[in-house]
Amino acid sequence: MSPSSRPATTPAGSPAATSVADPGAVPPPPARAAAAPGRRQRSLTWLLLCWTLGALVLVWGSFVVMAYQTGVQEADELTDGHLASVAALLLNLAPGAAVDSTRATQRTDMPWLKAHDYQQSLSVTQWDATGRLLTHTGTAPLPAFETPEGFADISHGVPATPAWRAFSQWDAAHDRKVMVLLELQERDDLAEDIAGQMIEPGLWLLPVVALALGLAVRRGLRPLYTLSHDVAALDVAGTQRLAARTPLREFAPVVASINTLLDRQQAVLARERRLANEVAHELRTPLSSIVLNADALARGLPPEQHAEALGRIGRDALRAGHVLNQLLALARTSRARLQESDAVDLAALARQVSADYAQAAWEHGGSIAVVAPSPAVLHGNAVLLELAVRNLLENALRHTPAGTRIEVQVGSGVPPDAAAAAAAGSDPAPAAWLQVCDDGARAGTPPHTPPVDSLRLGHEIVTRVAQVHGGSFGPAPAPAPFTTCWRIALANSADTQEG
Amino acid sequence: MRILVVEDDAGIAGGLSATLQQRGYAVDVCGSVAAAWSALRAESFSAVLLDLGLPDLDGGELLQRLRASPAPAPGEGTLPDPATPVMILTARDQVRQRIAGLDLGADDYLTKPFDVDELEARLRALLRRSAGRAAPTIRHGDLEVDPAARTVRRAGVLVDMSPREFSVLRVLLESRGRVLSRQQIEERLYSWQTAVESNTIEVHIHHLRRKLGNDRIVTMRGVGYFIPAESAA
Repeated sequence: MSPSSRPATTPAGSPAATSVADPGAVPPPPARAAAAPGRRQRSLTWLLLCWTLGALVLVWGSFVVMAYQTGVQEADELTDGHLASVAALLLNLAPGAAVDSTRATQRTDMPWLKAHDYQQSLSVTQWDATGRLLTHTGTAPLPAFETPEGFADISHGVPATPAWRAFSQWDAAHDRKVMVLLELQERDDLAEDIAGQMIEPGLWLLPVVALALGLAVRRGLRPLYTLSHDVAALDVAGTQRLAARTPLREFAPVVASINTLLDRQQAVLARERRLANEVAHELRTPLSSIVLNADALARGLPPEQHAEALGRIGRDALRAGHVLNQLLALARTSRARLQESDAVDLAALARQVSADYAQAAWEHGGSIAVVAPSPAVLHGNAVLLELAVRNLLENALRHTPAGTRIEVQVGSGVPPDAAAAAAAGSDPAPAAWLQVCDDGARAGTPPHTPPVDSLRLGHEIVTRVAQVHGGSFGPAPAPAPFTTCWRIALANSADTQEG
Repeated sequence: MRILVVEDDAGIAGGLSATLQQRGYAVDVCGSVAAAWSALRAESFSAVLLDLGLPDLDGGELLQRLRASPAPAPGEGTLPDPATPVMILTARDQVRQRIAGLDLGADDYLTKPFDVDELEARLRALLRRSAGRAAPTIRHGDLEVDPAARTVRRAGVLVDMSPREFSVLRVLLESRGRVLSRQQIEERLYSWQTAVESNTIEVHIHHLRRKLGNDRIVTMRGVGYFIPAESAA
C-alpha cells in the first residue's frame, strides 16, 4: 500500500496534520469521534492483560506439568527403594524368623496420620534354594518362584495387566530368596498424591498472581491514560500545548510531535484569522461607505454633494468588486493546486503581464520595465503564477506615488543577494525567482496616501501561490536605485508535489 | 449635538458626515488618532464615533487615552472630557474583539456595514445615557421632546420647529439647570467647517421663546441661557 493510499487511522495527530497540510480543506472530525459508532475499539489495557496473563498461564502450566512428572517419578523411586530396603532387611535376618501367615500382625490403621498414603502395604514371600515356600505375608497373590532377581511388574488375570511391583533377591549364600511386593495402584496413588501436593499451591496462586499482574499493568499504563486524556482534551483552535505531566522518555517524541503539529495548526489558524480580519475590513469598508452615501442621497443632498456621493458609491462598488476578485483568486490558489502544472517560463510570463499594465503605469506617471536576461523555466501552474505577478504589479501601482519606476526582475536559481544563505544551506535553492522593485520611497517623492484596501490581501495571495510551488514570498533587498522590492522564489512543482 | 467621527476611509467619513448632518448633528471628521486627540483636547463633543484601524495608531489607543484623562472639576470644562460617550465602528466582528473594545471603555460597538437608522438609534441611546436619563423622550413641564422623531409637543400639541431650533432646545434641555454660554451652545451645534453668524444663537432663542413661551428659556445677562430644572416636588 502506498503512503498516499494508506487510510488515516492514527488518533490525535492525524486531523491536525491533514489540516496543516491543506489549510483550505474542510477540517476532519475530531479523532475521538473517528471510530465508527457501535464498533468497539480494542483496548490497549485489555491487549496487554491478555498477553501478560497468557504468558503467565503458559509458564505456570509448564511448571505444573513438570511438577506432576517429578512427583510421579519421585514416588516410583521411593517405592522401589522401599521394596529393595525391605528385601535387604529380610535377607539379613535369621532364616525362620518370620511367623507363619496365621500369626501375622496386620498393619495398624492410623486415621490421624496426615500422610496416610505413605503407609503402604507390602507383601513378602520367601523361598529356599529348592523353591520351597518358606513364608508368604501380605495381600499379594503368591508369585512365581522363577521370577528373576531385581525389579519386575507382575501381572495377573486374563488379559494379563501389571498389578504388582516386585523386588526379589537371593541371599549371599544363595540358599534363600526374598521377594517384596507392592500393589501398583497403591504406588500410583502415592505418586498422584505427591504430584498433587506439589502443584496445588501453584493452582491457588495463579488467580492471585493474575490479579496482581492486572493491577500492575493498569497502574503502569496510568501515564498513558493521562496522556491520552490530555490529547483528547486538546483544543486545536485554542493556544493550548500538550504538557508532559509524566515526563517519561517514551512519551517525549510523541508529545514533541503533537506540539509541533499543534504549533503548525495554530499558526495556520492565526493566519486564517488575520486573513479573515483583513477581508472583513476590506470588504466591509466600501460596503459601509455605499450604505452611508446611499442613505445621504435618499435624504437629499445639494447638487455638488449629490454628485460626490454618487461618485463615491461607484468607486466603493468597484473597490468591493476588486476585493471580491481577490477573494476568488485566493480560493483558486487553494483549490487549483498543482494539478494543472506544466513548464512555465517566468520571464515570458513577466513580460506578458507587465505589458498589460503599461497603460496603467503611464497614467500613473511612471513606468514598468522587465529585466530577464534568460528564460527562467520551472514546472508550475501558469494561472497561479500569473495571478501572483498581477498582484505584485497592481500593488506596486496602487501603493506608490505618481511617477514611480517599477521594474520586474526575473532569474533562475539562487538570487544574487541570497547566494550566501543558499551556500550555507539555510535557504533551499529555488528553481526561479521574480521580484518587483519600485522607487516609490525615493527622496523628493510627492506625498501619496496609499489606499487602505487589499495590499495585505494581495500579499496573502502571492504567499499562497509561493507556498503551493514550494517557495516563499517576502521583502527582498532593493537594488539601487529602487527603494522597495518584493520577491517570490519558486521551486519546481515536481520537487514539491504531494510533499 | 456635535459628533466627532474618527475614520480614515474617505467614503465612510463623507457618508457618515452627510447622513448625520441631515439628521441634525454637527459632525467633525478626523482621519487619524493624532488628529482626533487634538480635536478632543480643543473642543467638546457629545459623542465620538471611532474606527479602530487607523493609519497612525489603533483606535483603541485613542479610547484609552481619553478614558485615562483626568476628570474635570465640578463646574469646569476641562478637555478632553473622559466621560465623552464613544461608539466603536469597525469591521472587526469577532466576539472577543467586541469584548476587548467594550472593555477598553467604549460605550457601544457596531460592526460595518451597519444600518444608518440603527446607528442613529444607538447614538441617541448613548447621548441619553450620558445625559443621565433613561426615557427616550425629554419632558419639561408641558413640553415633550422626542429626539428620535425630532418632534416637540407643548401640552400635546405639535410645535413646528426648524432642525437648528430643535437642536438648541435639546442642548438646553439636556443641560437643565446649568447656564450655557453662547459659545458653548455653538460648540455643541456647529462643526469647524460651519460659518456661524455672531447672532445666530440669539435668533434661535428668540424663535424658541416665541413658540414655547418667554418663560421657558431664561437669560442670565452677561453669561448665557438656561432652562431651569424642575423642582423634585
